[in-house]
Amino acid sequence: MTDIWIDRLSEYLDEELTPVDRAALEAHLASCRECTATLEELRAVVARAGALTPRPPADDLWPGIEPRLQRGTVAAFPQRPPRRLSFTVPQLVAAGLALMVMSGGGVWVLQHGGRATTLPPVAASTAAPEPGVVLTSLSDPRYDEAIADLEQALEAGRAQLDPGTVKILEANLSAIDKAIDESRQALASDPANVYLNNHLADARQRKLALLRRATALVGPRG
Amino acid sequence: MEAVALRSPADTVPAAEPLTDVARAAAGDVRAFEEVYRTHLPRVHSLVRRMTAGRDADELTQDVFVRVWQKLGTFRGDSSFTTWLHRLTVNVVIERFRSDQARRARMHDGEDIFEMLPGPPQTRDLGMDFESALEKLPDGAREIFVLHDVEGYKHHEIATMLEISAGTSKAQLHRARMMLRKHLK
Repeated sequence: MTDIWIDRLSEYLDEELTPVDRAALEAHLASCRECTATLEELRAVVARAGALTPRPPADDLWPGIEPRLQRGTVAAFPQRPPRRLSFTVPQLVAAGLALMVMSGGGVWVLQHGGRATTLPPVAASTAAPEPGVVLTSLSDPRYDEAIADLEQALEAGRAQLDPGTVKILEANLSAIDKAIDESRQALASDPANVYLNNHLADARQRKLALLRRATALVGPRG
Repeated sequence: MEAVALRSPADTVPAAEPLTDVARAAAGDVRAFEEVYRTHLPRVHSLVRRMTAGRDADELTQDVFVRVWQKLGTFRGDSSFTTWLHRLTVNVVIERFRSDQARRARMHDGEDIFEMLPGPPQTRDLGMDFESALEKLPDGAREIFVLHDVEGYKHHEIATMLEISAGTSKAQLHRARMMLRKHLK
């Protein structure tokens, strides 16, 4: 086999040839039955590879895994201390999921219920920091200050909101505050846990976003 | 409050990602981790088995899940858990390869390997036949074929993982495909 193009067929299949080479190969394929046949065979191989399905092992491997987890057989990451699982962490996860549900629902209600039919854009006059900031510390003065300002603005405009909307808003804020508190408690005993840090940052960002939307709702009417 | 009925699609959790088990496992819950293991075992074991041609696949799969347990606290949750898990699996297998000096010699098998490949399928289970043919490929060609054509990694990613050039990855992939096409005839 001395055909110089046959070794380029996979690159052709994967669309990795330059336009010039691709055109040259296609011109070659028009006159070379062997390369054309090989190309189709390679295409079939790729299709077969993509159709492979996962198969479990013949035996359950868990009995050989679990003891190593409890004894910490591999000491590459010794920072994970053995600890009892309290109800706090599952409650935190459940609260996080509930938070997502209620936040989405709360925003929907704010958008579609009460006296407002559409939400104005986020108020530019608030002194809150940019929402892109990733909040992972347990204490952030800029965040706390922004939250305090928003809560104050919301309290001042509270009378403008429909009582039903206020009730839902308070329930959502309460759920968020609970998630934040539980995250802080869990992080107090496991401060390096990235997942918990992300939960805390996410809850704080959601509180900020919800307060901003709520204050924007009352702001223009004040 | 009927907030549940009002949930926005953007707030839903993808059904394919058992975030609750992953989160609980990350917090140290062994039972939740067992659920993670059972959910992902078929794909992890298949990836390991295909990359290693079945050699020590069970032992390596166990190593993978022990490593997952140790590193779960570093999973940020901002990418697919499945993607994270598979990359970790590949890393564990590659580490084993690097410590296996005998394998290095096999990476440079000559073209006589073509003669070792089986002929066309002998059974009705084409999937198993293809898996058998895959196991008989030279190590280097098989690893790259699995990573590229089965797992979907790009040549530049494979080159980084295996510490080879992208050109070598392309050449080995073509070599593997050329050998396997004989099996499908």
